[in-house]
Amino acid sequence: MAHRVDHEYDYLFKIVLIGDSGVGKSNILSRFTRNEFCLDSKSTIGVEFATKTIQIEGKTIKAQIWDTAGQERYRAITSAYYRGAVGALLVYDITKQKTFDNVQRWLRELRDHADSNIVIMMAGNKSDLNHLRAVSENDGQVFAEKEGLSFLETSALESLNVEKAFQTVLMEIYHIINKKALAAKEAARTAGPIAQGTSIDVSDSAGGSKTACCSR
Amino acid sequence: MSSSTVDASASDASSMPQKRFSNLRSVRWRIDLGVLPSSPPASIDDIRRVTADTRRRYANLRRRLLIDHHSPKNGKASPDLTVDNPLSQNPGMHELLAPLVYVLHFDLDHLTQVQKLYEDLFSDEFDKISFPEGDFLSSHRIRRVNNWESGIEIENNLHKICSDHSLDELDPDTREMLLLSDSYGAEGELGVILSERFMEHDAYFMFENLMFGAQGVVSMASFFSPVAGSNSILPPVIEASSALYYLLSIVDSSLHSHLVELEVEPQYFALRWLRVLFGREFCLDDLLVIWDELFYSANSRYIDNDVEFNFEVLCSPRGAFIAALAVSMLLYVRSLLLATETATTCLQRLLSFPQNPDMKKLIEQAKSLQVLALESNILSSPCQTYSNKNQLTISRGYSLPSASALAKTSLNVIPDRYWEEKWRVLHKDEELRKQSNGHSSSSGIMKKILTKRLSFSRTNSEPFEGNNAHALSSVRRRLFGDSSEVIEVAKDHVKSECNESPVISDNLNVGKGFPEELADQGTSNCMVEETLLSGHNALVVSTHTGPHDIGNDHENESEKSSITSNSFLGDNDEETISMEESCSQNKQDEESTNMEEPCCQNLDKQLAQDAEATSSGDVDSIPEQIAAPKDRKPFAGKFQWLWRFGRGSKEENQESKRLQNAGHVEKDSFDISHCDGTYTSCGINKRIEVGDKKVMDTIRNLGQSMLEHIQVIETVFQQDKSKCESLDNLTNNILGGKGQGTAIAALKELRKISSLLREM
Repeated sequence: MAHRVDHEYDYLFKIVLIGDSGVGKSNILSRFTRNEFCLDSKSTIGVEFATKTIQIEGKTIKAQIWDTAGQERYRAITSAYYRGAVGALLVYDITKQKTFDNVQRWLRELRDHADSNIVIMMAGNKSDLNHLRAVSENDGQVFAEKEGLSFLETSALESLNVEKAFQTVLMEIYHIINKKALAAKEAARTAGPIAQGTSIDVSDSAGGSKTACCSR
Repeated sequence: MSSSTVDASASDASSMPQKRFSNLRSVRWRIDLGVLPSSPPASIDDIRRVTADTRRRYANLRRRLLIDHHSPKNGKASPDLTVDNPLSQNPGMHELLAPLVYVLHFDLDHLTQVQKLYEDLFSDEFDKISFPEGDFLSSHRIRRVNNWESGIEIENNLHKICSDHSLDELDPDTREMLLLSDSYGAEGELGVILSERFMEHDAYFMFENLMFGAQGVVSMASFFSPVAGSNSILPPVIEASSALYYLLSIVDSSLHSHLVELEVEPQYFALRWLRVLFGREFCLDDLLVIWDELFYSANSRYIDNDVEFNFEVLCSPRGAFIAALAVSMLLYVRSLLLATETATTCLQRLLSFPQNPDMKKLIEQAKSLQVLALESNILSSPCQTYSNKNQLTISRGYSLPSASALAKTSLNVIPDRYWEEKWRVLHKDEELRKQSNGHSSSSGIMKKILTKRLSFSRTNSEPFEGNNAHALSSVRRRLFGDSSEVIEVAKDHVKSECNESPVISDNLNVGKGFPEELADQGTSNCMVEETLLSGHNALVVSTHTGPHDIGNDHENESEKSSITSNSFLGDNDEETISMEESCSQNKQDEESTNMEEPCCQNLDKQLAQDAEATSSGDVDSIPEQIAAPKDRKPFAGKFQWLWRFGRGSKEENQESKRLQNAGHVEKDSFDISHCDGTYTSCGINKRIEVGDKKVMDTIRNLGQSMLEHIQVIETVFQQDKSKCESLDNLTNNILGGKGQGTAIAALKELRKISSLLREM
């Protein structure tokens, strides 16, 4: 009875939400997964988790999103936290310059701990607070281009671009995986058939950690 | 308002004599947290004096800090503040403070209302006294009385009441409360224990003692210490997280290995659980009940300095309770967790604990696990006897409190974790060894309580796949082990008869990723509940495990084991109970149907008449000698399909399993064959000469319990029936109409037998 078939997806992608404390990560998450927003939400302790399933090109993608507490000082989890993550949403607060300045540090953290092929979307959150803006959209754009990141300004409060931000990340991951899967298929044509649907092994072509996310 | 229910459930759950100040949580907590003196029961005056002292200290501290804060502006002050101000930067710390302030507030309100009542009382409405609670709700007008003055007034009132009427008519708590709010004495207002003016002071010291542990083991502040960076020592919060996994691995290795396999590291969820002491997992009322228990558990070091231990956090009862409650919570949502297939979904479940949980159950379980946590934290001495004794003690302490509660659970809750846990407790060594093999296993045990005295429980026997068959009984030797000699003998025996006995190791993924109900039912075995064994009587227990084909070579083995057990009988006096349990397992590969692993184990255990080790004295009522010859029933084979079904449809291999448990009362020429599986059958093969009435009672209880078993199986059948449609072809193959018919017929037989038994 408790056994619910959890296989109703084609791909399972792990996405991490990172960024300074108070930039709105948890509300971005709740907006995306539950369409909820809470003005006085409690700060995250440790990690919180959510999932959402979306469709991309006829495929069902299940996103598992890990939302970590922004207090870097208390990261108990760091390395394991990024394990298997194929996407990251790096959030800053457009009304707080400091959170934007820290994006660089978060990128470093990603490079240290996450898969090198991780897809990163930078999100300037709280775009509804335009009158308090401290970081111009252009600054964000320039930085993102320089670092090779996707970029969007979001508002969890007004539900602006949140869905799009996640979709962009997931889409990009999907295409990468797909490409790899095709390549792997080509390569494996001689080696034998691939078990259908269940496991697409891309570990040979790229960092091994990718397998975990797209298998099943 | 809700305080009365909360208090009631708290004292229910605690099942101890009413704690002091049971109506005044804030006072109790102050005592439990070490702010106020507790032992020996401090007089009100003592408490008052200490109260005044702490308040003075706080006043000084605050004055100093405020001055310090303003004077040295080195430019360094502000960053320090953001980092070190505990309430700003650490998510969660204020959540530890808030309930403390709340209870202080709550009690003050309570006091105000009582005071109000007693004022009314003076205007000659004496009748209201007996129903003080009723009035609280109706009086909206909360008048802030000056404690100082009203205290004196009340004192006078009390004297008056005393002289006029007996104080016994009053709620003693109320009386105490009035005394606590009295400013009479040397300390004056500063000594008023419940004081609105000093709430800040009082809250501070409660918070401080909570955060720093008052020289005890658990310091909440340490849970907030940086966890990354320093590689030297394990950060306390991580250590505590590991401790709870350790405890879980002892009591429920299948759940533990499920979590481990999903790569759910304990700190992923425990970080939140621990840092705010479960504050985010429960509503406030429930949280207060939890904290009642938590604080009531002393924080002092329980283990001597020279004793080695596993986890620092488990060295105090409070730390052990924290880990125990966490495990209790895990077990509470066990089936939900086992059904998850990814770390994320599992963690989602873990961080959205069900609302309105059964607090009593949670806490009772936590308390029994607390004992286990404390005991298991001590690294056992190499001496076998010692460790066995130790384990028995653990299990007893562990099992007794929850047994009655669990017995009440309905049949729908088939796999009661209690037995499973119990079983695991007893075999933690093996479990640990097994884990090193990196495979999961599930060992389900279905609860069975025959009587309060005599209990049988089925453990599961594991599916045997590949390599060598494993000997279950060796796992279970601890269960019966109390006499090291016997264990040695048993060990030898095992060695001689077994290829290998790596115990339930590898390949055992029953129930993994599968709803526990089925998985647990699918497994079967017999377990003689330890209370049976732990009376004042000496026992001989013979456990026999081995695969056999239907009507095949098993005869030899069973004879052997019978002999073995009989040989022990000779050593014992009249009051010897011998239970023999024969468990046979057979594993058939799909391809080679008759592959048999020649594995057989006999374990014979004798519990010496050790009053201490067997202090429960439960077996007094079974003074007869019970031996257990083999009496195999052909049912076993018929349950194969059921077994396979229980394994889950995904499994390719078919495991079949037969279990037999035979009990035989020699003196009375009374033979019981207890064929167990999830499907119990008992046969009475010989006549029964009415011997001891107690034995008859036992038999009746057996019959009753059998009936319960049968009902369980029938329930499962119903469930399975409805389920099987959704399961695919394999199930259909297994569930051939014929097989089911046979099984049902067998069940009917069993029903008859059980009613026979009961009517004796």
